[in-house]
Amino acid sequence: MTGAAIRALPWGWFLRRLALMAVTLWVIITLTFFMMHAVPGGPFVSERMMAPEIAAALDAKWGLSDPLWQQYLNYLRGILRFDLGPSFKYPGVSVNEMIADGLAVTARTGLLAVLCVVAVGVPLGIAAALNRGRWPDTGVMMLATIGVAVPSYVIATVMLYVFALRLGWVPTFGLDDWRGYILPVIALAGFWVSFVARLTRSSLLETLDQDYMTTARAKGLRRRQILIRHGLRNSLIPVVTVLGPVVANLLTGSFVIEQIFALPGIGRHFVLSITNRDYTAIMGITIFYAAFLILMILIVDILYLWLDPRIRAGAKA
Amino acid sequence: MSVPPVPQCGFAPLPRTDTAERIATPTVPYWTDVWRRLRANRPALAGLVFIVVLIFTAIFGPMLSPFSYYEQNLRLSNIPPILRPYTVTGEDGSQERFFLNSGNFALYGITEDGRMTDILRGKADMLNRRTTYDIAGRDVVVDYKSLPVSVSIDDSIALPGGRVWNRTYLFGTDQLGRDVLVRQMYGARISLLVAFVATLVNFFIGVAWGGVAGYAGGAVDTAMMRIVEVIATIPLTLYVILIMVFLDSGLTSIVIAIGTVFWVDMARIVRGQILTLKQSDYVAAARTMGAGPVRIITRHLLPNTIGPILVTLTMLIPSAIFIESFMSFIGLGVTPPLASWGTLTSNAVETMRSYPHQLFFPAAALSLTMFAFNFLGDGLRDALDPRLRK
Amino acid sequence: MTLLSVQGLQSEFRTARGVVKAVRGVDLTVAAGEVLGIVGESGSGKSVTCMSILKLLKRQGHITAGKALFQGRDLLTLSEAQLSDIRGDEIAVIFQDPMSSLNPTLTVGAQVIEVILRHRKVSRAQARARAVELFDLVRIPAAESRVDAYPHEFSGGMRQRAMIAMALACDPKLLIADEPTTALDVTIQRQILTLLKDIQARMGMAMILITHDLGVIAETCDRVCVMYGGLVMEEAPVKALFARPSHPYTRGLLAAVPDLRDGMRQRLSPIPGSPPDMADPPPGCPFAPRCPAAMVHCVAERPPLFIATDTPRLGGGQSARCWLMHPDAPEVSP
Ligand SMILES: Nc1ncnc2c1ncn2[C@@H]1O[C@H](COP(=O)(O)OP(=O)(O)O)[C@@H](O)[C@H]1O
Ligand code: SF4
Ligand SMILES: [Mg+2]
Repeated sequence: MTGAAIRALPWGWFLRRLALMAVTLWVIITLTFFMMHAVPGGPFVSERMMAPEIAAALDAKWGLSDPLWQQYLNYLRGILRFDLGPSFKYPGVSVNEMIADGLAVTARTGLLAVLCVVAVGVPLGIAAALNRGRWPDTGVMMLATIGVAVPSYVIATVMLYVFALRLGWVPTFGLDDWRGYILPVIALAGFWVSFVARLTRSSLLETLDQDYMTTARAKGLRRRQILIRHGLRNSLIPVVTVLGPVVANLLTGSFVIEQIFALPGIGRHFVLSITNRDYTAIMGITIFYAAFLILMILIVDILYLWLDPRIRAGAKA
Repeated sequence: MSVPPVPQCGFAPLPRTDTAERIATPTVPYWTDVWRRLRANRPALAGLVFIVVLIFTAIFGPMLSPFSYYEQNLRLSNIPPILRPYTVTGEDGSQERFFLNSGNFALYGITEDGRMTDILRGKADMLNRRTTYDIAGRDVVVDYKSLPVSVSIDDSIALPGGRVWNRTYLFGTDQLGRDVLVRQMYGARISLLVAFVATLVNFFIGVAWGGVAGYAGGAVDTAMMRIVEVIATIPLTLYVILIMVFLDSGLTSIVIAIGTVFWVDMARIVRGQILTLKQSDYVAAARTMGAGPVRIITRHLLPNTIGPILVTLTMLIPSAIFIESFMSFIGLGVTPPLASWGTLTSNAVETMRSYPHQLFFPAAALSLTMFAFNFLGDGLRDALDPRLRK
Repeated sequence: MTLLSVQGLQSEFRTARGVVKAVRGVDLTVAAGEVLGIVGESGSGKSVTCMSILKLLKRQGHITAGKALFQGRDLLTLSEAQLSDIRGDEIAVIFQDPMSSLNPTLTVGAQVIEVILRHRKVSRAQARARAVELFDLVRIPAAESRVDAYPHEFSGGMRQRAMIAMALACDPKLLIADEPTTALDVTIQRQILTLLKDIQARMGMAMILITHDLGVIAETCDRVCVMYGGLVMEEAPVKALFARPSHPYTRGLLAAVPDLRDGMRQRLSPIPGSPPDMADPPPGCPFAPRCPAAMVHCVAERPPLFIATDTPRLGGGQSARCWLMHPDAPEVSP
């Protein structure tokens, strides 16, 4: 990019977005901290029943005898150094370690699911729109309706029963070979594939009805040119805007999927921390999720900016 | 062109009366039109009917059931909804029917039409892993030394004949011997209760927030919408989980948690509508006639916003039902012995290997309800879409 | 020489509310270099007629009968691929709303260049140079830099100029301009029309100009078609139409034109009543419900298009679809 082009970008807008995201993250951290603080038997109460080495670790980290605001500042300072503190239940284990431990599995399944959403959802939506009212459309819409309506954990358990227990096609748990990924990824991506397929379809249909599509035809452009250059580019803009939330929601969806398929990911740690009341882990993982989500939204903002010149102009103004 | 012949009387002036009427097409009242379009939409109508039936079942079903959702009877655990009866013919020609519960290897008597009478008492021989019963004067032996369990009548292996629907426990029982049907109906109660209360609370918060922001405008609007923007960025599931951890599981907590997360969309819609409507003439007219802000919002703005609000609400209900069941599924929702579709599903997952049918009912109930609300929401949106109205 | 000849064209839209018979048997001819005006109230089928010629109807639209002979070839029987060679090259279109007719996510220049690249064997750089030249031609200032601007950076008038540039890119033989100025400010309307007329005269191309404005017709066109209810009601050389309007509908339209001596500007359409619902058009003459001269036979049978040789009531080159033209009909003074 040339210097002029870089200067032409809406930096002010971007900085404002960045500030908003920072504020959001701070609100989440603060909310989490004070909520967990208020829980009876929570981690910031000094007269509690917990293993002495945990108490010592917590005290060393945040100073449990310090006043509340001091603890809060200590906690914030820790987060700025990417340090989420020790586990409240497992002596000698830190929340960072828990996240690091599950990250690979969660990232791999999550990434596969995102790929599915883009590589399956978008083409299905396009196929449906281009065949409006005919069988590919009806078929895709039926599938998508099922995917949107049936909760992912129901799909997951039913698939687990049918394909793993009854038919034995795939392992019931674990990721030892590639077949272990199939069911979790389908369960994880099912809703969003359907959602994106529906969104792509309606967006493309709307675009196809636009006047500029008639202009493109009136110019004698070829069908493919009309569809790709004029149709898809415009109709994918709303699809791109939901991709950020999609990635984030895939993560939250992964709690239960990892639980059902017994995958050692972050989500499993999270659900376990909830059942164990491992408050510091709940806090830490929540904040990790939130930070990740916000990062995704920022990335989508940039993508969006690149796709739609009107936003570029609007953002600059 | 050859000029067509026209009878001379055809050139008389046209009497005016009948033609004037042709011009005006009758205007159909808006809601009649919406209802007509909704009715023409099969899935939406089916969804509506399903929801109405579900509501009635949830309210009255448990009253009509002889069972309660909490009473446990371990002797009657894991009874399936479809029975495979064995028939024993006595010396006097009388017939006795029973079925084998493969979960606890016990025999239960059943009548011709599938009603369960009672658990049968036999002599247990723990050493040889067999139980001997005396049924209709014959020796019935259940041998569970090796699986599958075998049943023999007077030393010859017997096989079950046919299938009969369990008339006592229509959906069977769970692992604690509770009637699945009545627990399902309680599950429906919880789901609908959470959905409707949460929707109502969200509606009021959203309308109030969006209404005030849109009406006030200026700095107030900016500040309020910034807050909405921040809240919208927080993942809902995380928020609900935090609240549930904070408030402790239970019905009230889940209602509070769900009741306070979904209002953001509503607030945005209401604000948007109000901003556009604020410019319109009749609001200005109302204001010059001295109507106050509350009156303007409730009497003039909301009635015009009702369409999008209704669609958002209908779409919000399945989200609320989903979140509740999701929370219950991961153990953060309602507490036992209360049953929600989420807990029922999660209980069924534990016993999925032996009793897959227990998974079927909550999963089907939840999925069908989600379908119904989704279809209704889609149909409502199409029916209300002003673009189709010309 | 006849460039385009439309014969018995019928088009309809199959909608959820029934079949909308938008065009019900239209005949038109355009000679090379001629400007044909089409005038009529909104909904009379002007746009659908023109879009049908190039088979550009929207999703539910279907052409059910007729021919559109362009240089002797029937466009309606051509395949989509054959048609696309003609569209934008020999026949170009300008639409009413320049706001929505340009793709918002591509630069204006790119949208001009792509039509050149589609129909001419030139390099991208040559196409770009041509685009700049066209921008100059339609008098977009600072053409060289404006080529890289996005539609939202243009004003309405500038966008319409860009649309015209796009239409002229391949020197079409026929330009269809569908209410090219209706969406623009009054002051800009005149500039755009003058521009169009200038270019048309300079390039010697034929043009179909659809408009609401009889004033524009008077200044710009050689011949006029008056449409109503999906039918051509009257067709005449422009002078004859203004001097001797024969159809009651044409007279109604002319009566609504401001009297220039008063200097008053008035919108078209103060004919009482409203156009017919084309999903359920009245039998016979579509104008009968609003026609001050309607007769009993008017609602019984659709009037044919009378031409000058049929009846003493029409001048040369003039034709009208009205029972009053029948030699046996009573004389009505205008
Ligand atoms: N896409 C469409 N779907 C249904 N009806 C249409 C469509 N486009 C035009 N029509 C109908 O066709 C008739 C003629 O429209 P049109 O040719 O656009 O009129 P105009 O003379 O104003 O250009 C009108 O009655 C209009 O309602
Ligand atoms: S045919 Fe009859 S109704 Fe139609 S314009 Fe002529 S006189 Fe009027
Ligand atoms: Mg038109």
